[in-house]
Amino acid sequence: MISVTNLRKNYDNVQALKGISFDIKKGEFYGLLGPNGAGKTTTISIMSTILEPDAGNVSIAGFDLKKNPTECKKAIGVVPQEIALYNELSAYDNLMFWGSLYDVRKGELKSGIDETLKRFGLYERRNDKVKTYSGGMKRRINIAAALLHKPSILFMDEPTVGIDPQSRNLIFEVVEKLHQQGMTIVYTTHYMEEAEKFCDRIAILDNGQIIVQGTLDELKSSSKMKETIVVSFVNLSDDLFQKISREWEGLIRVENSVHFYTSNVKSDLSKIILKCSDTGLGISHIDILKINLETIFLNLTGKQLRD
Amino acid sequence: MVQIALKDLKLFFANKRATLLTFAVPMVLITLFAFAFGGVGRKKGETMPTRLIVADVDNTGESKDVIAQLDSLKEFEVILKNIDEAENLVKKGDEAAVLIFHKGFSDSLNVGNNPPIEFKYDAAKEAEVGILRGALTGNLMGMIGGKSMSKTIVNKFDAENQNLDAETRDKIHAQILNNFSPEETKKQSRSILKVTPLVAEEENSPGLVHAVAGTAIMMLLFSVSGMGASLLDEKQEGTLKKLLYSPLAPNSILYGKILSTNLISISQLAVMFIFANLVFGLDIYSHLFSLLLMIAATAFACSSFGVLLASFSKTRQQVQGLSTMIILVMSCIGGSMIPTFAMPSFMQKISAFSVNYWGIQGFYDIFWRMLPLTDPTFLSRILVLVLIGIVLNFIALQMFKKNILKIA
Repeated sequence: MISVTNLRKNYDNVQALKGISFDIKKGEFYGLLGPNGAGKTTTISIMSTILEPDAGNVSIAGFDLKKNPTECKKAIGVVPQEIALYNELSAYDNLMFWGSLYDVRKGELKSGIDETLKRFGLYERRNDKVKTYSGGMKRRINIAAALLHKPSILFMDEPTVGIDPQSRNLIFEVVEKLHQQGMTIVYTTHYMEEAEKFCDRIAILDNGQIIVQGTLDELKSSSKMKETIVVSFVNLSDDLFQKISREWEGLIRVENSVHFYTSNVKSDLSKIILKCSDTGLGISHIDILKINLETIFLNLTGKQLRD
Repeated sequence: MVQIALKDLKLFFANKRATLLTFAVPMVLITLFAFAFGGVGRKKGETMPTRLIVADVDNTGESKDVIAQLDSLKEFEVILKNIDEAENLVKKGDEAAVLIFHKGFSDSLNVGNNPPIEFKYDAAKEAEVGILRGALTGNLMGMIGGKSMSKTIVNKFDAENQNLDAETRDKIHAQILNNFSPEETKKQSRSILKVTPLVAEEENSPGLVHAVAGTAIMMLLFSVSGMGASLLDEKQEGTLKKLLYSPLAPNSILYGKILSTNLISISQLAVMFIFANLVFGLDIYSHLFSLLLMIAATAFACSSFGVLLASFSKTRQQVQGLSTMIILVMSCIGGSMIPTFAMPSFMQKISAFSVNYWGIQGFYDIFWRMLPLTDPTFLSRILVLVLIGIVLNFIALQMFKKNILKIA
């Protein structure tokens, strides 16, 4: 459904994308994860035709993006990260406007708007100006606007940022249903639990490159480590961290804590405690975490997803 | 308290735009008004010469002599034109009046008949015409009136005293010529200059037409710059990016903005003229088609200006700063604030560089000069406004692609 080959993009002297490639099958829920500046938004912007790549090819729904951008645009719906609505118009008028930009017949569009508003729990307030809505309600309309022309592919860029639990759950329900109905979804998020919950496959981007991609199980099994021992210290300094890093490979420091990745907790835990004691580090707390997307991400990029 | 004041001053001067608007814009306006009204640029006591268009059909030594005398006066800046060209300039509204020395001027002067001099004027430019007539009447009387009057008396004397000997006759002639009273000359002064309105005076008060056209165009420019700035709001709020996700061609976004700005501009101008009709009795119905055409052309040019401003700017604040400065200057030189005929000639020349000028002149054509829809002068104003619109839109489109569509 989507094929991206050797995609490159530079901004002045910064290489935003260094030749990424991936394929997304029809009906697949594909997650793009990465810290800020990793290249997620650049990738989505190129795939949604508003940014030209410096090199590489993109094919959307069988259409070459360079040769046939309009057909590509018709096939996709984009939910941007920012809430892009006209605050002085009602929700209904907003949807009517955004829907009218696509070749949808008026009658079909009207019934589509009613159905979408009901689905997002906003039908009763359809005639209220958007400026009177809460952040969560606006976000729901923001998503609804991308669905009116019934696209076969949906790009969702951080669709649940800064919203209330009620709106979040409603969005999850809609997203899940769209996935069940066979829509191809490309999803970027900072929330690992969302990626773990929805994504069939995940790509982790960092510094304009895909570090790893696959299903969650594939990512877990490809990782050498099985668990993470998170040790918090009372007196962690840069010097002491350097000292302990020489003794143990692949350590990651997060504020006053150090993440030790291990495949054998039992033997490694006692070694860690002894090493720390020898180095003069005072331990305040120890956590043992099972491997998850968050720890894989941290292990691979050395950064937390919100960095 | 002092700390707050100091902080505010620091913030104020850190904002270059605010500083510019506070100090530079008033200075520019004061300079322009000073040139227009205050006689700045002239020596103390020096009067500003009034342009006097002269057509010398007679083309004799006498007519040339009078024209040279007029040109030597500090009140006038004489410009010689052929009669058709001169009359055309008045009809087009480029000049207030023309002084014509008709064929037979010299002969009439020599036989003592009233010389055929005609002052053809544009009734709409009453202030300028009044100044010219006043200055011409007195000066022409001094130049021609005495000679003409004495000739009349000599001829009459000769006719009634045909039996006198030549010596006595010559003495009496010399006496008449030497002792001719200036008071007598002044009594006849009005009959020397034949005065004809070339562009008829209409029921619509020139002041009212100027107030409506000048103000409406200036306010329209302010409105359209705000409407144009909505393009930048769209960029700032992310809706522009969302529009670009749709199959809509990127240029259509700008065309749509131009269209909506045009429609609102047309409505605004139309409402202003309807208001002038209802409240001040401006007759808009006798010239309805011309008026609609001029409203559409003016709205097109003004809207394009608004969109162009937005395409050059990065934020709404920038548009506001730029528009305030440019619109005030254009309105000042273009005749929205002061009628152009009240300005010095060099300012009248630069006024053509403003949208206001062409719009206001077009409305003068309709309500003062009563030019028909098909008149070349009127059509030329429409053409200039449309061309301004096309050029500004073209530049705006290029800037839109370069500045506004740059999403990343």
